[in-house]
This record gives sequence, C-alpha cells and structure tokens, in this order.
Amino acid sequence: MSPRTIVEPHHTRGDLYLSCDVVIVGSGAGGATVAATLAEAGHDVLVLEEGGHYATEAYTANIPEMLGKIMRDGGGTVAFGRSPVPYLEAKCVGGTTVVNGGMCWRTPEKILDEWSERGLVDLGAKALDRHFTEVEETINARHQDPGSHGGVNDRFYEGATALGWKLSRNRRNQVHCVGSNDCVTGCPSGAKQSTLQSWLPRFWAAGGRLHTHTRVEKIVTRRGRAVGVSGTLLDPYKKRRFTVRARAVVIACGAVQTPLLLQRNKLGRECGHVGKHFTIHPNVKVAALFDEPVNSLRGTHQAFQCTEFIDEGILLAPGAIPLGFMTAMFPIFGSRLAEKLRRDHRHIATGGVLVDDFAEGYIKTLPFGIPLVRYDVTDVDQGKFVRAAARLAELYFAAGAREVYTAFHHHAVIESPDAIKKLYADPPRVEDTEYFTAHLMGTCRMSADPHDGVVDPDGQMWDVPGLYLADASIMPGTIGVNPQVTIMALARLVAERLDARLGRGAGAHSVSMARPAA
Amino acid sequence: MKDFVFPGRLRRTARALVAAMVPRWDDFDKDLTDEVLDEVEALVREMPLFNQIGLSLMLTGLEFAGGPLTLDGLRPLSSLEHARVVERIERLADHPVPQVRMLPMLLGTLISFSAYSREDVEQFLGLPRRAWRRDRKALRDRLVQLDAGRPAPAPPTPLGGAPEVTPETYLLFEDERAHHRPDAGQEAG
Repeated sequence: MSPRTIVEPHHTRGDLYLSCDVVIVGSGAGGATVAATLAEAGHDVLVLEEGGHYATEAYTANIPEMLGKIMRDGGGTVAFGRSPVPYLEAKCVGGTTVVNGGMCWRTPEKILDEWSERGLVDLGAKALDRHFTEVEETINARHQDPGSHGGVNDRFYEGATALGWKLSRNRRNQVHCVGSNDCVTGCPSGAKQSTLQSWLPRFWAAGGRLHTHTRVEKIVTRRGRAVGVSGTLLDPYKKRRFTVRARAVVIACGAVQTPLLLQRNKLGRECGHVGKHFTIHPNVKVAALFDEPVNSLRGTHQAFQCTEFIDEGILLAPGAIPLGFMTAMFPIFGSRLAEKLRRDHRHIATGGVLVDDFAEGYIKTLPFGIPLVRYDVTDVDQGKFVRAAARLAELYFAAGAREVYTAFHHHAVIESPDAIKKLYADPPRVEDTEYFTAHLMGTCRMSADPHDGVVDPDGQMWDVPGLYLADASIMPGTIGVNPQVTIMALARLVAERLDARLGRGAGAHSVSMARPAA
Repeated sequence: MKDFVFPGRLRRTARALVAAMVPRWDDFDKDLTDEVLDEVEALVREMPLFNQIGLSLMLTGLEFAGGPLTLDGLRPLSSLEHARVVERIERLADHPVPQVRMLPMLLGTLISFSAYSREDVEQFLGLPRRAWRRDRKALRDRLVQLDAGRPAPAPPTPLGGAPEVTPETYLLFEDERAHHRPDAGQEAG
C-alpha cells in the first residue's frame, strides 16, 4: 500500500517522529510552490499545515461555518492602529489561496527594477520571467470565460469606458470560473486553482507527504543551524506532539505568522528586521446603487481593474461578494438594514479601492505569546484613499448609479456626482474610515546586505543556516498589485536555490549546506 | 477556549444585541435571535482566548457604558425593552468617538454575516444562492468534461464554454438556459 499523501491526526497514534530532506511549514502560495518544486526535483519533502484539508464539497454557503473552518481565528484577525484593519488570513490546506479573489498579476517591472537596484539582481524582470511563466501555467492564470463576468463587473466596465479610463482585464487562476461569486469562503465549483488544485497535486504526484493539524512551535537548531521543527498535533481527542528532523527547514506561514514563529524562537534578532516593514495594501470599500438590477449573485468576483491612476498608487476595482458580506457595506443594522437590502440588494454593485501604501507596520510577540499586529494608515495614504474613492464614485455615476456608498463615516452616502466634492472639501480622517485588506507583505524582507533584511537572495536567513523563508514576508517592499503570483515566483526562486544546495534527488546527503563565513 | 459560551449576564447582553440587529420584516414570521446567537457563539468559539476576552469586554462595555456614552440613562443594555436597545445601539454606531462606534459595528458585522447567509433569509429575499452554487458546480463539471476531448489553449486565453453555454447564456440557471431564446438577452433579476 502506498503511503498516505494527506495525513490527518486520526491516521496516526501517539507522538510522531518524522524525518525528511526538507520540511515546509505552511501549504499556501509559498509553501505549496516550494513543496512541489522540491518534490519534483527528487527530494523527500514533508509539508506541515496547521489547518485542515477541505475538498470542494466541504465549502458550504454558511458564512460563519466557513469562517470558523478555514479562516485563522474564525476570521477575527485585525491589525490595530489609528483605525483597525481587519485582514484575511486562511488556516487550511492551500492557505490564503483558498479564500482570495484569484487575481494574477506579475510584479510590476518598475518594482522589480527597484529591487534590483537594491542589490537583489536575481529579482529583475528578466531573471524572474521563467518563474512567472511557470507559475501562470501551473495555476492557469487566464481571462474569464466569455459571458461569466456578471452585472457588478459590467457596470464597472461601462463606467470606466464612459470616462475613457484605462482598464486591465484580470487574469485569474481559474479553469471555467462559472460565476458562483463565493470566492471568499472557498470556491464552491472547484474552478479556482488554489494551491489545493494546482501546486499540491503536483507535490503529491511526486511523492510528497502533507500532515494536517500540525502547529509548529519550535524550530530546532543545532550549533546554530536549523535541523527540524517540533510542535503540537491538534488531535481533538488527545494532545500529542510531533518532531520532524530535516536537512533544511522552510517556513511559509505568511507575513504575519512567519515573523511570529521566528520571534517566539528568538531567531533573527541580530538583524533587527523580523516583523518590521509590514505593508498591507489597505482597501476601502465603495458600492453603488443602480436603477437597473445588477444581480450580484451571478458573476465572478472581479474581472477588471482600472489602472488609470496606477502611477499615483491607486487601483480601482469591482468586487462582487455574497449578500452576507455585502451587509458590511452599510453602517446600519436590524430592521433598517433589512428593509434596505430587501429593496435594493439586486441593484447594488460592490467594489473598492486599493492603495499602494507608504506606511509600514510591525508584528510583535507580546508576553504569553500574544501576537500584536500594528498598522497605522498615514495621512498621506489617507489622501490617496479620498482621491481613489472619489474617482470610483465618479466611475459609478458615469455608469448610471443613483447613489454611491463609501466607508467614510461622515460621507457614508454620496447622492450625486456634484456631491463628490464634499469628500475633498471635508476629507474624512483615518479614524473615520473603515479599511480592510488581504495583502500582507514584507515582515522578513529579502536583502542583499545582512544588516538590511532577514533573508539573503536565496531566501535563507542571514543568521540561521538551513532555515529558509518562502512566503509574502520575504518581499523586499510593497508591490501595488495582488501578490499571489509574486509570492509563488519568489518561492520558485527559493526552491531552486535550495535544490542546488541540497543536490539532486534523495540520498544526495553529502552536499554541504554550510554557508561560507561572512 | 473550545467550549466557549457567553456566561450569564454577557449572554443576556449578547442576546439583546442580536435581537436588535437580526433582520426583521413584517411578512417574515421567524425570530432569528436565538439561532443567530448560537451561530455567533460558535464562531467566537473558533477564536483564540485573547479575542474571546476582547469580545467579552466589548459586550461588558456596551452593557454598562452604552447608556452614559449616549446620555441615555444608566440602565444596562440587557434590561431595556427592544425599541430602546435599537435606539441606543444606533446612537452608539453614530457616536463621535470612533472607538465607541466600532463596538456595535464589529459585533453587528458578525451578526449580519450569520443572519444574511441563512437559507431562509436568502430565500425570503429571492436570492437562491445555494441553488445557484449547485447549478454552477454542475455546469462547471460538464465544461471540464467537454475540455477533456480538446487541447487547452495556453494561459491567458479564456477557455470558453461552447457548445454547452454561450456568452449570452453563461450566467443562467440550467432551466433558464433551456428556455433561452437568442433575442431574450440576459435575465436580470
């Protein structure tokens, strides 16, 4: 009988002692990409995932049930600051790729040039091109099937076209996205090519093993080198432990959990950058009411983006969401909300603005291991939000909207195109704005200089040989577009370098991983 | 805490809050309060201890400080009649201090997520989301089957859906597609 590719707690008994060439913590965009790449190169790879494995049939229409099942902290993750910013972070096999909107953009060349100028020459557009291509083919970064957009996207398209603003047609990692409009709680049709549908099948086909419900707590080091991990097996019936010995350890838990794990293990303290330089691409929501039905039930989450103001760091986008999430657009509740939605829900198009942020937050571990995620939106970025929301309102009015709703407390409703001026005349404060984000980046950044970041250009920690990071935390800076393709391309790069150090195939244990003395 | 429930008085506060925030329509004869409260409690159960304590403190704040903050008397929230609870929460949600406003809005989000993703509420609003999900899954399965016999174009080319669906019929339920006439256009509501 072949060994199990997905091992759940009930498949095993007692404490677990495992060994492999490479242990990877996390199965999202970074972890799954490294796992597939290394397993296909012949290495014995083990992935540890804190959450459970849920196939397409397990994603239900019940929002609280799904938040509890696949989101970290039941979806209650928040960055504290001048105004709290709720953020999206999944905890399941496939990680945040299971719950994201599926947008696929290469890192803008301008950003890659900046990174190259900082000494990270392997992050240039030309050097990363083959990784981007491999990623796009693996995850099927395609345009939507004709006819699958739906009213929310169509109104956005009409507004941008009427104003002559530049539009990009989104590539999304999907195979026949049939417009279920339920991306955020797991694709109900199996169309979204999360790592669960793309990199992980490749990993499993190459003989990789994945253990679910494994919470890594300790990174085991010997003479300063990472040699494994240990932690708790989240068996609901009995607390159990696991220990994994490996020739290399890859941490890919995302831009929040990765620095927390390093801080709890007191690793990377010398460089002083672990948990710093946290950027989040904050969004604010904007919605519009139309006379004609929009029918947001039918259609895809986001088929276009308006890139007219990209040089200002502003992106406008539609964003179809299920009714349950649409309720968060309105600062009312009870009977008032009920009447509003009964009357208007078919006529409301939802969208939002994304800002390429200048601010940097941080991740810190407080006493008793309590995580603190801190991010303060700056007044400069707030100025961009005001301009961005005003422009999206303009776009919606150009598409025929009757009124526009914003996330600004004192300007919750804009009744006419003329009323947009009020946003500029009395600009909303940060404290009076509701934000949201799903793009968390840059808390263990890659650098060419050991004093300037946490990992070297190979993704290996400057001060912990054998410990690699491969997720959004290693991004050297904010990128201004949806990050999953960038994360995967960087993960491919890290995997390739790690493969070179390990030597091809199982048993090639004589290859030295010792780093030259600085 | 995996066995988390709002204890004693906090549960009464939470119930008063949920009762004020669940949807109510004259011709919808179901009171969703208890079922939504159970769902919210189940969701809070998935949160770490730190968040559970935070939520309990928020509820305590709403219970005892909500009155003074809105100049609405000293009576705790859970001892007010329904209409007064609604009024007090609306005042809190429009409070000049952002941190105060945040309390009912955050809890309201949890309650609305739960209430508005219920099948009975969606049906009442004429929003057959569960049926739509089933229809979409079946359609996609057929499209993927069709693809098995033909080479897939390289990304980013879209895959299309012919002959199973055309752009005009892509977002129609199966029975609507069966009755679709080429000149009928997309059903809009």
